[in-house]
Amino acid sequence: MPEAYPPVFRRAVIALNGGPFDNTIVRLAIDFSRQSHAELVAVHVVELNWTQPLDSEVAERSEEAQRVLDAAEGIAETMHCKLESVLVQARDVGAAIVDEACARDADLLVLGLPYRTRFGGDFAIGRAVPYALKNAPCAVWVVREPMGEESQ
Amino acid sequence: MFVIVVGGGKVGYFLARELIAAGHEVALMERDRARAVQITEEIGSIVISHDGCEGKYLGQAGANRADIVAAVTGDDEDNLVICQMAKHHFDVPRTIARVNNPKNESLFKHLGVDEIVSPTRMILGSIEADIPVHELLHLAVLGGGELELVEAQLRIGSPVIGATAGSLDLPDGCSIFAIIRDERAMSVRSETELREGDKVIGIGRIECEGELHRILLGETDSEK
Repeated sequence: MPEAYPPVFRRAVIALNGGPFDNTIVRLAIDFSRQSHAELVAVHVVELNWTQPLDSEVAERSEEAQRVLDAAEGIAETMHCKLESVLVQARDVGAAIVDEACARDADLLVLGLPYRTRFGGDFAIGRAVPYALKNAPCAVWVVREPMGEESQ
Repeated sequence: MFVIVVGGGKVGYFLARELIAAGHEVALMERDRARAVQITEEIGSIVISHDGCEGKYLGQAGANRADIVAAVTGDDEDNLVICQMAKHHFDVPRTIARVNNPKNESLFKHLGVDEIVSPTRMILGSIEADIPVHELLHLAVLGGGELELVEAQLRIGSPVIGATAGSLDLPDGCSIFAIIRDERAMSVRSETELREGDKVIGIGRIECEGELHRILLGETDSEK
């Protein structure tokens, strides 16, 4: 049996989508990072549509984006852990997260997945998670939030 | 530079790839969803899977800030609509259209497309260059499509053999400026005498092509 639990990693990128589940994945990542003293990088991507140039100052001015990163930093502080936070502007969230993980030579990418259903009841996985699963060169953890009562 | 490429066929795909490699920002519009997914997987998330002929989607692609819109679908009508919309609704500074049917070239110019590219005419030009015929050879289209560079090989029966260049009554906006004689290029002066076998290089407005043909080579086949 490989002794892979909890897995050891040296640098993890945590993708934050601004949802309520962000807190959970930040806590999980911090817990798992303690054993190996891994670096943690929290990334929040602000998706820009094509009408705006990629270098326009949208994300920096966004209070919402800042709130997402502040919350992650706050959790890290209370858990006495160092966490770097990064704000990224991109056309596509999935590609930006994977690019960030590659650029930082991360060996783990952590993503939260909200439990959502489409009209008709089918589970909606979105675009970012499948993209990361398919394209990220490092290990990928996808942490799905629990089903709501109405979904069960 | 921000370029919107409409049409994700071979031309659009390679054009987008080259532009990205050259450091430009590119949005590619492809209405076929499966093809759009395929290009996204190969090049990255630059593809907008919508029909570029619709103003709403052209707007979503960022036409309001595009420097160039290149319409390179396989459909001339679509390319014309895309360029017109880009020009008149979004004030795009430069529009480029692929024209598949050479007969549509003048229409595209007339309707305000800044630049037209006709693969058909280019291939035709190459073929004509290799197979001498009693026609004007199209060497290049210049001036955004209004002017063309042509070559006429003078053969027995050409009405200008023995005449001097200065004596030719060329249409306004046309001139001949070089001759290739015995594999050597020479500039044309008014006293230069034209001889059988000369390849005469001229430039002129596209609409003068027929007149230039008549003067240098005689009547076209269709006129006989």
